[in-house]
Amino acid sequence: MAEIRLTPAEMLSKEPKRWIATLIVALITVILLSWSGSALESNSTGGSGLAVAKGIILGILHPTTSILFTLQTNGVPYLLLETMCIAFLGTLVGAVISIPFAFLGAGNIVPRPVALVFRVFVMAIRTIPSFVYGLMFIMVTGPGAFAGLLTMSVCSIGMLSKMFIETIEDLDKGILESLSAAGCNTFDKIRYGIIPQLMPSFASTLIYRFDMNLRDATVLGIVGAGGIGAPLIFAMNSYRWNDVGAILLGLVILVLIVEWFSSRLRNALMRG
Amino acid sequence: MKLYDLILPPRSYTLDNGKVVVEKRSRVPLVILLLVLATVISGEITGFRLSTLLKRIDYFFVMLFDMFPPDIAYMSQVWTPLWDTIKMSLLGSAIGALLCIPFAVISSENLIRHKAVTAFFKFFFSVVRTLPTLVVALIATYVFGLGTLAGTVAIAVFTFAYCGKILYEQIETVDMGSHEALEALGMGKLSSIRYAVWPQVLPSFLSTVLFCFEGNVRYASILGYVGAGGLGLILNEKIGWREYPRVGMILIALFVAVVAIESLSSFLRSKLT
Amino acid sequence: MITFSNVTKVYPNGTVGLKDVDLSIADGEFVAVIGLSGAGKSTLIRAINRMHPISSGTLTVNGTDVMKLSGKGLRRLRRGIGMIFQSFNLVTRTTVIRNVLTAFVPDLPLWRRILGIFPRSAKLKALEALDKVGILEKAYSRVDQLSGGQQQRVALARTLAQNPSIILADEPVAALDPVTAKAVMDDFRNINRNMGITVIINIHHVELALEYCDRVIGVRSGEIVFDGPASLVDESVLASIYGDASYEAI
Repeated sequence: MAEIRLTPAEMLSKEPKRWIATLIVALITVILLSWSGSALESNSTGGSGLAVAKGIILGILHPTTSILFTLQTNGVPYLLLETMCIAFLGTLVGAVISIPFAFLGAGNIVPRPVALVFRVFVMAIRTIPSFVYGLMFIMVTGPGAFAGLLTMSVCSIGMLSKMFIETIEDLDKGILESLSAAGCNTFDKIRYGIIPQLMPSFASTLIYRFDMNLRDATVLGIVGAGGIGAPLIFAMNSYRWNDVGAILLGLVILVLIVEWFSSRLRNALMRG
Repeated sequence: MKLYDLILPPRSYTLDNGKVVVEKRSRVPLVILLLVLATVISGEITGFRLSTLLKRIDYFFVMLFDMFPPDIAYMSQVWTPLWDTIKMSLLGSAIGALLCIPFAVISSENLIRHKAVTAFFKFFFSVVRTLPTLVVALIATYVFGLGTLAGTVAIAVFTFAYCGKILYEQIETVDMGSHEALEALGMGKLSSIRYAVWPQVLPSFLSTVLFCFEGNVRYASILGYVGAGGLGLILNEKIGWREYPRVGMILIALFVAVVAIESLSSFLRSKLT
Repeated sequence: MITFSNVTKVYPNGTVGLKDVDLSIADGEFVAVIGLSGAGKSTLIRAINRMHPISSGTLTVNGTDVMKLSGKGLRRLRRGIGMIFQSFNLVTRTTVIRNVLTAFVPDLPLWRRILGIFPRSAKLKALEALDKVGILEKAYSRVDQLSGGQQQRVALARTLAQNPSIILADEPVAALDPVTAKAVMDDFRNINRNMGITVIINIHHVELALEYCDRVIGVRSGEIVFDGPASLVDESVLASIYGDASYEAI
């Protein structure tokens, strides 16, 4: 075998010109970022920013204990309960709407073009910002928690359908074959072949979405759709930073607890 | 769960050949009971009424259909806020992603030996992640004034927490052999991280940042609602004035932008991995 | 008793699966079907419980013409024929016993079928089936925590719980390592000898077929080219089944 031996210097000259690609990517990034910087504008009150920030942070770090521990309807515990209820029912209603969408968007259940149409539709639902839904549902039910849960359910559709579709497309059809070989009819095949395959991952998705909905619930309050968001925004707009601190403290603790439980539950569901 | 087994004791089955099998009672009834209870309580507290919903849901669709046909002429006024939204998310994502790197490094148990330090910074990431973005945006408008700067800060904070958490998880699963080899070679801690750990996490980190950026574009459109610039501002305004065809135009523009960015970003991510 | 007379199977795309097959298998036999991939082994086995309907000819199982059945009658026929698959076909995200219990589903009253609540007698039978294949202690584990060999045993227990008179096995050991494959073949032999169940196995490994089965059927391009006791299978027979060149490659 004839081998061409290169001196180290010759090899060096053959070094792949990776730096050109790197330079181009870096250049594009810098241009994009400086172009983005052009949009930065703020109607600053002039120099007082730092002082304001200091006041806010000091306020938040000294939460009002009175609203943190009262059990009245304007206290943090009740508001958190209401927020949990909105997130829970919102996830549930969202799941009910998403399941048909998911089956219609799964390429192994319906023909590809049909599935594609439903996927684009779901994506369109997902693109509309949540506060737009909030404002629309307030016209339906009036302001309050009811509007909040409807908003939450519509906002859940996008992610829930997407995850459900993935699960459905992963279905193992061999099980259906073995059930028909054992003399099962169509109902039995769905009940014992499909549902047990879907359940754990659907449940896991729903728990995850509940977790996210709880986190997003503040958005709803801002448009007047119930939950802890509304008092939070009122407190912020009237510069009651101690109250803001109390509400945020409650919310952060609740979300952290729920997140801990949710990740443990999901692990148990997926690993058995 | 021990209590549950006490109330409903496990059943035992004796086979013909004398073997005994113990079966714990199914947890399904308990789960169903809890779910039904939670549904009833939630229904009470939120005032959920199916009858109201069925009776008045057409208002929702009337509004929705009023958005069509959209006011195409209005598009000329949508461009600036649309670009603002995209710029805010781009810059915010970049700042947040850069800032999270040092924090993620000191949160990684395989790089920092002190458990207290890593635990503290992990908790810090968790807390920042729970802060609602809208609240951050509103606070930012008090500090930096109304406008896109406030929105950029809010997005940077969110990206910081999201990408940071994923980055330290990625660092912790990295193969430490090469890091050890470089330290044995006499390299300092920082440079061995730079040459051994960083190349391993970089592609997936960039992919995370791109994914976060996709979500941020959608999220940035909300921020205008609290005065932090972008599409949300005009969206809120037009809904308030009931100019639904214009709302429709804004939403269509947003949809096209989101689809375009998502396809570009998922193309880039597929190149990365 | 299974009889094929002049059975032909043509797939919708024109492929011929079986060509004028005449065959009869008596109760209690242990039969191996061997041949190249695509030779029609799978079609032969699946024709028996009509998972693949035949195009012409008659196929009877215990005197019933399989092609004359439909709906309930077909499902009743399938209740009496167990089937084992190469890929186990279990619901991996649920427990072993719930997989075995699906064997009883068609016999349950409607409310039990909907709710998935099984009577004590069914659970007892399921546990006994698991005991027969030696994995009783795994009854309440999730299937995805078991090894491949254990999963194939769960599938076997599910089939036994059906109380079949015939078991059809489509490449049951192809996905297993050699040692586990032998253990599963031992299970089949025990089931055949001790419970008197007819076993028809579709198998790639010639050595395993010759070691365990009483009768070997060789299939080539949809036709039966050899049918006789395992002891009569020699190099020339294998060459006629696999073709000279391709047998070397196996």
